[in-house]
Amino acid sequence: MTGLEPAELGAYAVDEAGRIDDRPGLHEEIGLAMAGSLNVRRSVLQLLDRLCPEFADWAVVALTNPRTGGVQLYGGVDVTSVVKVSRRALAGQALERVLATGRSELLHVSSDDLGDGLTGLIPHQALRDQAAALRPADVLGTGLTARGTVVGALITVRGQGRGFGAADTELAEQIAARASLALDSARLYEQRSQIANALQNSLLPPELPTVPGLDLGARYRPALEQLDIGGDFYDLFQRDGEWLVALGDVAGKGVEAAVLTGRARQSLRTAAHFVTDPGALLAALNAVFTDDISHRFVTMICLRVRPQPDGGLLVDVAVAGHAPPLVARAGGDVEEVACDGAVLGVVPVAEYPVTTVRLAPGDQIVLFTDGIEEARGESGFYGQERLLELLGRYAGAGADVTCAAIEQDVLEHLDGRAHDDIAVLALGCTG
Amino acid sequence: MIADLTPTLTRFEHAVAEIDVTSALAVVDEALASGADPIALLTEVIGAAQRAVGDRWQRGEWSVAEEHAATAVATAATETITREVRRGPVTRGRVVVACAEREWHALPAMIIDCALRSDGWDTTLLGASTPALRLNQYLQDLGPDALAVSCSMLGSIPTARRFVEASTAAGIPILVGGPAFGSDDLRARTLGATGWAADATGAITAMRELPAVVQPAQPLADGPVEEQAALELNHGELVATLTSRWPRPDRAGSPELDPALAKDAVELILHALWAALLTADPRAITETAWWIRALLEHRDAPVALVATLHQEVAGAIRDYPLAATLLDDSWPSAERL
Repeated sequence: MTGLEPAELGAYAVDEAGRIDDRPGLHEEIGLAMAGSLNVRRSVLQLLDRLCPEFADWAVVALTNPRTGGVQLYGGVDVTSVVKVSRRALAGQALERVLATGRSELLHVSSDDLGDGLTGLIPHQALRDQAAALRPADVLGTGLTARGTVVGALITVRGQGRGFGAADTELAEQIAARASLALDSARLYEQRSQIANALQNSLLPPELPTVPGLDLGARYRPALEQLDIGGDFYDLFQRDGEWLVALGDVAGKGVEAAVLTGRARQSLRTAAHFVTDPGALLAALNAVFTDDISHRFVTMICLRVRPQPDGGLLVDVAVAGHAPPLVARAGGDVEEVACDGAVLGVVPVAEYPVTTVRLAPGDQIVLFTDGIEEARGESGFYGQERLLELLGRYAGAGADVTCAAIEQDVLEHLDGRAHDDIAVLALGCTG
Repeated sequence: MIADLTPTLTRFEHAVAEIDVTSALAVVDEALASGADPIALLTEVIGAAQRAVGDRWQRGEWSVAEEHAATAVATAATETITREVRRGPVTRGRVVVACAEREWHALPAMIIDCALRSDGWDTTLLGASTPALRLNQYLQDLGPDALAVSCSMLGSIPTARRFVEASTAAGIPILVGGPAFGSDDLRARTLGATGWAADATGAITAMRELPAVVQPAQPLADGPVEEQAALELNHGELVATLTSRWPRPDRAGSPELDPALAKDAVELILHALWAALLTADPRAITETAWWIRALLEHRDAPVALVATLHQEVAGAIRDYPLAATLLDDSWPSAERL
């Protein structure tokens, strides 16, 4: 902007004393503000918020929908407003040209043809009425071109006596250059995150059902804090009046491991249509994972829960290369279930012996992954000792309370340090 | 509708004291069926009962496990009200509700979530102790109209500041509240939050008044930020030093103070220093001193230990001049204690 005569800067850029307004930073400011967001709607809000009144009296951002050819119009008097306009409504209008060519169009609106003058760039009646109420002098449409594609247009309006000069158009184009890159990045991010979220949702730990006689609780903390999924998993479902519960750990972290947890859970549910003995289920899964080309190991605990007429529960436990579950009695005694078996996916044929434990009302069985015992804090690993001690203290407190306490204790032990995936599931007998 | 909720509160408190989820849910269901206002139930029944739960722990009547079990009863009741409230239509924008890292009291955030949902906001609740990275992911994915953050513990204030930065960098206004923010908006303002609310009702009003877009929060003053970061970095070491010196084991005639409780008190004071440094509000330290005094009194420990705690902390943080000054200026005098 330097080197331009004040007259070329347009009325708005010169203050009352005739000094050139020191405003070359606006496009930079907008670029920085928009870089703070990867969400299309929030990015548009960042832009609109800084355009008025600094640059214009009224502004709307039009973003094209590549699928329908229509546009979404953001802003106006209410910056949060969003309206849709069809491709047909744009036909033959100035806005259609701006969206096609990316080139700016400036319309001077005379006071007696307010409506007609605005129609070209503002293809929506309510928004047009807002702009008309300003008795505008100029409407400026600036193309938003990013990475070779026109993604939308910036429509700005100034009131009487403050029309857009050549320098204003230039500034609008500089703003548009930064805004369009930010909006396009946000759009790309949003498309990716929609895909990621759809896939992630299918891999999230299941919501725990309400089951009479059973008290269920669970907690899940992936190693990668920004994700909701990881290589640990748990699942539970009903088969013929009995409940099958699984908790396991796929070697590795992050998305690749999470994908395999989905397959492990699906394999288990399929196998459970034919057999519900936990030992036989793990043997079937072992065969599946040995054949699998992914060559990842999986450790798992599988439980079959059989409610008894007296209100107690019989729990059949089988373990594949995983730390055995702990049983916390109502009175405070805690014991490890004696059970062992090979990691899934290593040897083609393996047997998984079943140990049966009986839970009386107030007792609970706690399943957990190695992210708990191996959580490394300032004073070393969290370890089984701390877990046993905590379970003794929380005897009778309920499954959800127990899991919440374990999660908190482990994270406090870590004190902000990185950790492996953490999963814990408790199943109590309510009688 | 203004209905007297006192009988409901009495029955609910009884159910919580007995850790009887079934009865507690029956009380809430009954109140909802007879047309009780969900917000009134949240604040005047669940919130009120929950304060009594905290008091019982402080008085030593309940173990931590019992306190947590009682809280789970209140949590289940809040979930019931939330389910009811979610049947109503969404009439406003989207809000993310979160607890900052180190904040394990998830119930207040649940109550705020429920209250805002009842006012028509489309809320997404992130659970206890949310890391800033995870919050950021949700802010970018959802692009909410606002973020609401609940802090009960002073130790969560540093992450609350990171939440302020994450939120305002994206132009998203942030509303904060909870006991860690104190009884006025000073701490919230210093941290750069857009708004502050004292309770669920206040959160509803404040949320409606937030601007659509905010500017990035101003940087905090360098000196306090650097000291707070150093204190946080050396936290484990400071806790170890202080718990080895306080309370003095050789104090004849005084009952043994539970080491877990002593560690809690030491952690609280250090967290209060973090909060006072970042929020420029020394009352965080004063309030903590009085709270520890009440705790000691209830546990039949000599209240003189409050003064010795002050001396030990002052000695341990000699290398942190701003924190040391804050501590000395705001610790209640021996005569008052």
